[in-house]
Amino acid sequence: MKFNYLKLSMIIITVSILAACTKERTITDEGNLVPKTVERDASLPQIAVNGTQLHAEAFGHPDSALLLVLHGGPGADYRYLLNCTSFANNGFRVVFYDQRGSGLSKRHPKDSYSMQLMYDDLTAVIAHYKTSPTQKVFLLGHSWGAMLATAYINEYPTRINGVVLAEPGGFVWQDVLDYIEDSRSISWTSELLNDLLYMDQFLTGKESEHAILDYKYALLGIADGNKDNPTGDEGRLATWRPGAIVSKAAFDIGERDKPNWTTNLSQYNTKVLFVYSERNKAYGLAKAQKVSSAYSNVQLLKVNGAGHDMLSFPTGWNNFYPTALNYLNSLK
Amino acid sequence: MFKIKILALFTFISFNGYTQTINWSRLQKEDSHIAGIYGGLEYSLVSGLVYGYQLKTMIPIVLLADFSMPWGEKLLDDNKTKLGASFGLVRAGNFRLTAKIQGVFRRYESDYVRMVNFGSDQSATAGYYKKKWFVAAEVGFDKAIVTNFKHAQLYKDVYPNVQDGWFDPATGGNFYYGLQTGVSFKQSDITLRLGKVVTEDFKTTPSIDFYFQVGYIFRYGAKK
Repeated sequence: MKFNYLKLSMIIITVSILAACTKERTITDEGNLVPKTVERDASLPQIAVNGTQLHAEAFGHPDSALLLVLHGGPGADYRYLLNCTSFANNGFRVVFYDQRGSGLSKRHPKDSYSMQLMYDDLTAVIAHYKTSPTQKVFLLGHSWGAMLATAYINEYPTRINGVVLAEPGGFVWQDVLDYIEDSRSISWTSELLNDLLYMDQFLTGKESEHAILDYKYALLGIADGNKDNPTGDEGRLATWRPGAIVSKAAFDIGERDKPNWTTNLSQYNTKVLFVYSERNKAYGLAKAQKVSSAYSNVQLLKVNGAGHDMLSFPTGWNNFYPTALNYLNSLK
Repeated sequence: MFKIKILALFTFISFNGYTQTINWSRLQKEDSHIAGIYGGLEYSLVSGLVYGYQLKTMIPIVLLADFSMPWGEKLLDDNKTKLGASFGLVRAGNFRLTAKIQGVFRRYESDYVRMVNFGSDQSATAGYYKKKWFVAAEVGFDKAIVTNFKHAQLYKDVYPNVQDGWFDPATGGNFYYGLQTGVSFKQSDITLRLGKVVTEDFKTTPSIDFYFQVGYIFRYGAKK
């Protein structure tokens, strides 16, 4: 009798697996678990610049002052920053783009990335949308995007007419590491940590298999808005598709080069709007003062009722937008 | 593709294997049963139970069943069952070479997706086994062969066209290598395993790229 039960179990499992495997799907095919990038979906809004294809959109009159929105990550995308289209209703040409290897932009090999390449991409995007030499250019960067904005200004101090920086991890590598440590305090015994780690035995991918690596990275998005997260997020950030390889590449570049993006900031005397959130326990006034001190002329803004995701949800956005608009208008 | 499906079935159904860390020198032919508990880091913080039955065969063969789950507020939403056998292949004095072949069923669930997977875990161990202690090196490969995905609405909000269902060929694979050691007394073993984990391309690693396991084994059934 016991043997019969065993035999029956084997038959059920055999039939189940064979039936289930009749239609083959692979985790590495674009479109199965994550959306296709601009390389494979021509219907997406895109631009071809600096040897790559970037998922990009622009809102507002083409001749208005340019406001380039730089998303975080590295490896996130601009979907969570679409509130910034509001600036287009107030006299700005708002440009969004998924950075190289991020979001729905084209993927590239890990060893192809460098900070200079990211600067060149930004330069090319500005050039793509700029309609006249006198058109002013502003940057609005969130988290990593604020770091990239500062790194760009540090490299080219005369090109940018104003910048809004929302909670950059730091402009020198040690500050970045400190922020990463402070913002990732999750209990070893929590469901969240388990959900972040346990999937590693289900899914693996080679460095060239972007679809599955990006999917795994997307699953890490469950950490957004979690109560265990000290960054005080209100919810999960909207996203299309993260870029796992560019994220890893950028971190490896940081580890290797230990960058300091403040060495030329003394040449940048334009006022900077530096924004931090009330609920982000890993940031706060002291961190904001320390990081922003690299600039000579700073306006600090504390966004009440919001966490690190302050630009994505109504409370944070409503407390941010009027001040940001006034700041940008003052420099327009 | 058909070959891979057959391999998956063969691995899971025919062998159904798992091996807990065993002091082969201490294991007597009359020890019909072993039972144990363990905890440690294996991709996540996990704890588990193991039961084994030693066959009365010419070469030592222990059939084992293992169930483990990670820590967390939700019980059983993530878990792993391993069924299989460990074989004592070669013995030269106190040196022994053993192998294990395991079938694996595992489940994962988060706010975004529920995954169930059939896989295999195969390894070899070579070591020095005394009555009161042992130390051995192990190397193995943990393969996720076929996986079924069912996405929650939350992920469908991110990507509405995401595909649910079975995905194959293999969705994952990790090599591991490390050391086993332990002390034995009366009918008990206290064991330790630790080592490194690398993905099958040898270039990337899991988020936790090492494993660490402490276990307690109780042997019974022998007439002392």
